[in-house]
Amino acid sequence: MRARRGFAGAVAMVMAVALTGQAPASAQGGFRESLPADLPDGPAKEGFDIDRFSNFGNGWFETFYVEEPEWLRTVLDEGRLEPATRVLVFDTADGKLALLQEQMSFHHLAQGTAGGKDWLATF
Amino acid sequence: MHHFENVGLYDAVFVMQDRETKTLWNHITGEALYGPRLGHTLGPVGNLLQMSVAQALELDPEIRIGISDRAYFAHGQRFGTAPGLIEATRAEPPGRGRGPAPGGPDASGPGRGGPGTAPGERELLSAFADTLGVEDTRRPRMELGLGVWNGDTSRYYPVERIREHDEALIDDLDGRTLVVYLDPATNTPAAVFANAAGAVIKEDEVRLDDGSVIRGGVMYDAAGARIDVERPMQIFTRWYGFALTFPDPEVFGD
Repeated sequence: MRARRGFAGAVAMVMAVALTGQAPASAQGGFRESLPADLPDGPAKEGFDIDRFSNFGNGWFETFYVEEPEWLRTVLDEGRLEPATRVLVFDTADGKLALLQEQMSFHHLAQGTAGGKDWLATF
Repeated sequence: MHHFENVGLYDAVFVMQDRETKTLWNHITGEALYGPRLGHTLGPVGNLLQMSVAQALELDPEIRIGISDRAYFAHGQRFGTAPGLIEATRAEPPGRGRGPAPGGPDASGPGRGGPGTAPGERELLSAFADTLGVEDTRRPRMELGLGVWNGDTSRYYPVERIREHDEALIDDLDGRTLVVYLDPATNTPAAVFANAAGAVIKEDEVRLDDGSVIRGGVMYDAAGARIDVERPMQIFTRWYGFALTFPDPEVFGD
């Protein structure tokens, strides 16, 4: 079902929600202009039709590069989060890591290195 | 490290591109779709679990968190110095207010409802719908559910059907017992492997008939000892997104 060949610079990847979208408020107003996509000249996976690709949303979001994670307990104790705040949790090579769901609704992608291994989170 | 960013849509789902080779990647499977890295897959692919801060600390008191400069809210205060989702995606500055609601860029709004969409249901924006391939019409396009895959099996659990089972059900996935439930704390669907023949939700926990419970995203045995839990790959998604990524999936209850 899924190809297993490694990617040069292999990265552990985690995801929670397909990026089909959820926030009605942003649909009610006009969207920003999307930037042109810089696409290579193929090749395409069998069945992939590049003519159906749209650059909608290109340039809107900014990948979050996590460099200095903090202790969640400390952040909570300092009042910068609430116990009910929604987070996204995953395993890295250096232990569990959380991301704020509210921020990931903007970033959609987060990347980092932990325990010497690269990771990529999509939301 | 290769650097990834969302650059557009395909099958009404965002696709990502790495800056170094310009290859387009599927953000669910990690598979290369188009470009010089065709034939490669990012991985291994794991689960990103949705939970509250309290649940995360119960899961692991030593957990850390990455917080960016983007706006978020806690205790009625705004934190972060950079614009959040709504401010960053709209053409016009938003009016005064609390700010963005949790969620992603919206695929729903004035547009096309697609197969099975009833009046009043969310519709798919035309910008998304224009990128769709041939759809699987067994379920309504915009229905929400939990997509699960493991080995050669992919199966979709409509939220509506989980609710019909009092929000917790037992199923079989490739010969293993699977508990699928709506998390009482987050109201999002989740699936874990377990050794049980029945599951019910009571007092904000999932109680299995072998005496174990799932509370705050953590499983405990009948004696109250914590158990490491194993989960199949899973994603909370609309039907069209799952069915176009995993063609012809099984649907729970069909």
